Amino acid sequence: MKVAISYPPIVNARGQVAMVSQNRNVQYFKIPTFLLPIVHAQAATWLRDLGCEVRWDDGNAQRKSFETWYEELVAWRPDVVVFESTTPVMKFYWRLVGRLKNDLPKTVVIMTGYHSMRQPEETLRACAVDVVVQSNHVDFVLRRLLPYLGEQADWRTACTIEGLFIRVDENVWRSTGTFKRVEDLNLSPDIDRDLVSWRRYAFENGNFLRTPGTYATSVIRDCTFGKCTFCRYNGPDLTFSVRSVERSLDEYQRLIEEYGVREIFDDSGVWYRGEQARAFARGILDRGLHRRGCYFGFNTRFGYMDEETVALLAKANFRFVLVGLEAADEETLLRLHKGYLPHQAYRNLEVFTRYGLHPHLTIMVGYYWQTAAQLELTVRTVRDLMLKGLARTLQVTLCTPLDFTPYHLECQEAGVLLTDDYDAFDMSKLIVRTPIPHEAYYQAIRDLYGVATDPRFVARQLRYLTSGRARDWEFLFRYGWRALRRVRNHVYNLTSNG
Amino acid sequence: MEGTLRHFVQSVRPLTDATFVIRIDRHGFRALPGQHVTLGPHRSATNREYSLYSSPEAPYLEFLIRARPGSETACALQRAQPGDEVDLAGPYGDFLIERPADPGRRYLFVATGAGIAPFHCFVRSYPSLDYRLLHGVATLADRYEREAYAPGRYVACVSREDGGEYRGRVTDYLREHPVETDRLCYLCGHSAMVARVYDQLREQGVPSDNLLTETFF
Ligand code: SF4
Repeated sequence: MKVAISYPPIVNARGQVAMVSQNRNVQYFKIPTFLLPIVHAQAATWLRDLGCEVRWDDGNAQRKSFETWYEELVAWRPDVVVFESTTPVMKFYWRLVGRLKNDLPKTVVIMTGYHSMRQPEETLRACAVDVVVQSNHVDFVLRRLLPYLGEQADWRTACTIEGLFIRVDENVWRSTGTFKRVEDLNLSPDIDRDLVSWRRYAFENGNFLRTPGTYATSVIRDCTFGKCTFCRYNGPDLTFSVRSVERSLDEYQRLIEEYGVREIFDDSGVWYRGEQARAFARGILDRGLHRRGCYFGFNTRFGYMDEETVALLAKANFRFVLVGLEAADEETLLRLHKGYLPHQAYRNLEVFTRYGLHPHLTIMVGYYWQTAAQLELTVRTVRDLMLKGLARTLQVTLCTPLDFTPYHLECQEAGVLLTDDYDAFDMSKLIVRTPIPHEAYYQAIRDLYGVATDPRFVARQLRYLTSGRARDWEFLFRYGWRALRRVRNHVYNLTSNG
Repeated sequence: MEGTLRHFVQSVRPLTDATFVIRIDRHGFRALPGQHVTLGPHRSATNREYSLYSSPEAPYLEFLIRARPGSETACALQRAQPGDEVDLAGPYGDFLIERPADPGRRYLFVATGAGIAPFHCFVRSYPSLDYRLLHGVATLADRYEREAYAPGRYVACVSREDGGEYRGRVTDYLREHPVETDRLCYLCGHSAMVARVYDQLREQGVPSDNLLTETFF
């Protein structure tokens, strides 16, 4: 069976490319940014291991034009094509599926992803897709489904593999029932780096301090916490699954020894915490992987890392820690279900930086309730954190309801959505009614990024980089340059809105 | 607004060397049976998620916590004294019984260790529930407050000691005692246990729509 796992190049009117595989949100980038879709890469590996002929078909990372990508896919004549959906690209996918089914009527088209999993019937109505996968465990579901498709001619009516919506004929489809929420992640294989051409993703990724970098096969799917209302990893249909520490350590060792990677980032929604985090760090130290010139990084949340764990991680050569601050006022944090209060952010950042970790903050603005005072407090707090050296880098985005998350549903219920055109959900402008003019939020983003040019911040960064603890000029030039390009990308979007 | 009230410890009730029930004052906090919160010592850098152990109608809030060596939050809460302040946020979660008053509805609850907390909350909140509770534990002492459950409904599956209701793991018990396929099954515990028991119940014919899962580390 010939299976294509496909990421079409989706280019907007500004010539920016959609990063569908970004784990929490989709964004359009002008500059090349390539993010390895972890679960789909595991699926590709597993299907290949089962004997399928797999085409890893990431048109973005392969730097193809849409037409080239499309023509090559059609010419390959796949039996199955798998796509990944998210709100701002749904209309694109619906058109694409129509065209593809026209050119390849026998090909089974499978839609995965967080948008269609929550509204499967919408996609079945809107296009000729054959199957919508309702599970976030795309690898497990495809691993069960594809051999079945090959063996059972009557699969449309007979299949009982749970977590699917299957088209029976043009206007009829059926559900196979609730999917299995918790899977044993040790059963899914490590990503075959050669199959997915890992070097294509090894350089242009803002989360790498050093290159070539790579994403680890995630140890948590999706997020240990999973409560933040805006996040696609939250919902009554989701919980988290875990991969073993030893299994992950084996992969790190192989990535360093066989592939020569210099940074490994685990993009699990929230990485290990507590005893598992410490066991992982001890494993890195025991195997001597901390002496191999490779940095390690992960996502966490405030409240999960105690000092003993952080100290051990720092010793094991962990550096980049991505943590979502989102806002600095108590009301917003409570409404977002972040599960921590502002003082905890300070306490955690003090511990991270004391041990030489590199906290990268993500912040959002433009919540439909966000007042001028709340926005101002966030800007002031983030600037304070950056100027004090408690955070090293940051990313600011517009809070955009997506993928029928609780925040998305809340916006619908509150009647604050200004559009229902999915194309507008691309995070380039605010699409909710807010208590103050949208321009105030755009200006806040410019102000927040502006801290990068504040002489006090520059002086502090230089002090950090010339300190004995973290002398890393490669970082200064490479990461600094990439960060600047990212800022330009955001400011470009906002200038176009302003 | 939820979660902004101040909460103080009333008592810490040890159940074993490592496991305890912390009782804090309620101060109008509202939750549904089966929901959880984030809880940590006041102004500390860490917190963790804990399911409500007491009935949400009780005049206090209780949480069942196991303090493993090195787990900073749990160990600090274990050392807490009456009057100490804690930070609490929430409630969160959808691990709920939708129609507890439905006549004829039968439940199977499967927990390991402190994963029994939401089930304790369920049976306190809905005294007329028709349930069977399987509790996977290592030792007899880990059968936390089992007198809280109606006679004949609680089965401890004790893996390392004789003398309990059943010697072995919950998966062994379920192999010997297949479940009625119309039961609504709720699983709460470590990820690996939840995944295994889920498969077992599916193999026994329980529809996936009748299986609810909640995992923790
Ligand atoms: S901590 Fe919150 S925002 Fe981050 S991945 Fe988890 S649920 Fe999503």
